[in-house]
Amino acid sequence: MMSNANMIEVSNLTRTYKTKSGGVIKAVDKVNLQVSEGEFLTILGPSGSGKTTLLNLIGGLDKPSSGRIVLDGLEFSKLCDGDLVNVRREKVGFVFQAFNLIPTFTALENVEAALVPTNMPKDERLQRSSKLLEMMGLSERANHLPSELSAGEQQRVAIARAFANKPRVLLLDEPTGNLDTKTGKEILQLCHQVSKTQGQTVVAVTHATYVKDITNRVLYMRDGKLYTEIPQGEAVQ
Amino acid sequence: MNIVGFVIAISTLITLVMAARGWETCTSVPLNDIGTDIIFIYNAPVKPLNTGCYIANHLFAYPFNQTLLAEIEQVPNVECAVPILMHRLRAMVFTGIDPTQTITNAVKPSDVIEGRYLKADDEYVALVDKEYASLNNLTLGSTVSYAANYTVVGIVEVSATNLIKSHIYVNLPIVQQVLPEKPIGFVNMGLIRTTSPSNVKQVSEALKEQWPDSSTLTGLDLAETAFGVIRIGEETAWGISLALAVITVLFAVKSQLGNVGERTKEIGILKAIGWSNKNVVNQIVVESLIQGVIGGVIGCCLGLVFGSIALSTIGGEIGGALSLVPFDPVLIAVGFVIALVSAVVAGLFSSLRAARLVPVEAIRTT
Ligand SMILES: Nc1ncnc2c1ncn2[C@@H]1O[C@H](COP(=O)(O)OP(=O)(O)OP(=O)(O)O)[C@@H](O)[C@H]1O
Ligand SMILES: [Mg+2]
Repeated sequence: MMSNANMIEVSNLTRTYKTKSGGVIKAVDKVNLQVSEGEFLTILGPSGSGKTTLLNLIGGLDKPSSGRIVLDGLEFSKLCDGDLVNVRREKVGFVFQAFNLIPTFTALENVEAALVPTNMPKDERLQRSSKLLEMMGLSERANHLPSELSAGEQQRVAIARAFANKPRVLLLDEPTGNLDTKTGKEILQLCHQVSKTQGQTVVAVTHATYVKDITNRVLYMRDGKLYTEIPQGEAVQ
Repeated sequence: MNIVGFVIAISTLITLVMAARGWETCTSVPLNDIGTDIIFIYNAPVKPLNTGCYIANHLFAYPFNQTLLAEIEQVPNVECAVPILMHRLRAMVFTGIDPTQTITNAVKPSDVIEGRYLKADDEYVALVDKEYASLNNLTLGSTVSYAANYTVVGIVEVSATNLIKSHIYVNLPIVQQVLPEKPIGFVNMGLIRTTSPSNVKQVSEALKEQWPDSSTLTGLDLAETAFGVIRIGEETAWGISLALAVITVLFAVKSQLGNVGERTKEIGILKAIGWSNKNVVNQIVVESLIQGVIGGVIGCCLGLVFGSIALSTIGGEIGGALSLVPFDPVLIAVGFVIALVSAVVAGLFSSLRAARLVPVEAIRTT
C-alpha cells in the first residue's frame, strides 16, 4: 500500500505569533517533514509544543509565516483562498482537538456537513454518512445531538466526518484526548484500519504514547521543532 | 428571537392598515347614505319654542335663504347643493325635501319599500319612516299630522346611520307653508356634493371663508365626534408601517449578526471542513429566510386577527366596520413580502461577516 511518493512535504516551515506584550512566539520553527503516501505518522509532544499549529498549516487552515507546504503535489503558497477551500474539501479530512461538532446538528448531519459543498445529491450524502457512522459503530446514535453523546462517541462522529469526503490526507489532532486509554486505543485502531483500506495518509498528533504501537513512524515535537528521537534530558511520559 | 420580531412588525402593519381602512370607511358611511360630502348649516343660538325648532344632526340649525344654495353651487368643485328643511317637535322629526334630487337627499327613491316616492307637484302627501309607521299602525292611505294632515303615499326604510333620518318627509314648499314660523323661501340645511371626495376639505374651507358664520360638517368632522376613535388615515398607517418595516430590517440584521457572532465557532468549523464562503452565505440566508417565512405567516395571521378585532371596535355605532372593509390579499402579500425581504437582507448582511471569519481563529474560540 505504501509508495515512495511524498504525499506531504514541508520545508523550513515557520509560524510565529505576536503576543500582546510585543514578543514573538515561534509556534512552529523551521520544520522539515516528509510523509509518504499511505503512511501513518504520529507526532508526540507536550502541550504548547506547536502540534495543532503544524496540523492547521498542513491542512490549509492557517498560513505559514515562511516556508513551504506541498500536499499531493499542490504547493499552498501558489494557491488562492478559493483553491485552499477546495483542498480542505477534497484532499484533507480533519479531526479537531476538541471534536468541534456542530451542536445543533445530529450525528448524521454533522457527518453530512462535510459533503454539503460537494456535488453529491442529498440522498447519496445521507447514505454515505450513515454508512460511515455504521463503520464507527454509531448506527444507533445517528439522530442524536452531540450533547447526547459520550466523549468517545463524539470523537467517532468527528472521525466519520473526517472520512466522509474520502480525503487523501487525514489529520488527527489529539484524536484520543478526553478519552480513556482503552477507548483511545480502539479509536486509533479504527482510524488505522480505515485509512489502511482506503490508502490514506495519516498524521496524528497526540501526547498519548500508546499510539506508538500502531503507527509506522513517530516524531517528537518540542518548542516548535520536530525530532526523530526524544530530546535528551527528557523522560518518556 | 428573530421570528418574534417579524411577527410583531408584520402583524402591526396589517392591523394598522386594516384599522385605518375601517376608520376611513366609517367616516364616509353616514354621509354616503345621503349621497353627500358636506352638510352646510348655520348653527343658531335659538331656543326651542313650544311650536318646535329647526334642527340638523341634533344641532340647532338656523334657517337661511334658499337662494344661498344657488350661490354655493357657484363655488368651484361643488356639484350640487340640495335644500333641506328639518324641524322637530318633541321626539318627532319632520323634513321638507326637494323630490327632484334623487342622488343627494335626506330620503331617496331607493329607500321606498312600499308605495311611491314624492313627486314635485305633490302637496299634502308624505313619506313615513318604516319604524314610525309600524309603531303608529300607519299604512298607505293613512293620515299623519305634523302642523297639518298628510296622506301616506310611501313607506321608507332609511339606514340608521343616516344623520338626517326623519319620521315624516313632505315636499319642501308645503313644509315652508305649514310650519308655524312660516319660513317661506327658507331652508336650514344644504346637502353638498363635491366633484370628488378629495375636494371635500378644500370646498369646506372655501365655504367657511365665503360664509364665515356658517358651519360645515364633513365625514371627517362627524367621525371625530361620533366615533370617538383616534384617527389614523391609511396614509399615516402605511407611513408608520413603513417605519416599522425599516425597523424590522434593522432588527433582523442586528439579530442575525448576533446570531453569526454566537455561531462563529460553528461557521469556522464548516469552513474548516471545506465549506466555501458561498456555502456559508447560502446556509445563513436560507436559515434567515425560513425564519422570515415562519414569522411572516404568523405575523399575517395575527395581523388579520388583531385587524378584525380593531375593525369590530371601530365604528361601534354602526355595528362595527368589519363587514365594510373587504379582505385585502394585497395587504397580506405586502406584509409577507416585507418579512421575506428583511429576512434576505439580514441573512446576506450577516453572512458577509461570517464569510470574513478565518477558520483557525473561529475554531480556537471555545
Ligand atoms: N492564535 C494564537 N495567538 C498567539 N499564540 C498562539 C496562537 N495559537 C497558538 N499559540 C501559541 O503557540 C504555541 C503552540 O500552540 P499549539 O496550539 O500549536 O500547541 P499544541 O502543541 O497543540 O498544544 P496542546 O497539546 O495543548 O494542544 C503555544 O505556545 C500557543 O500559546
Ligand atoms: Mg493542540
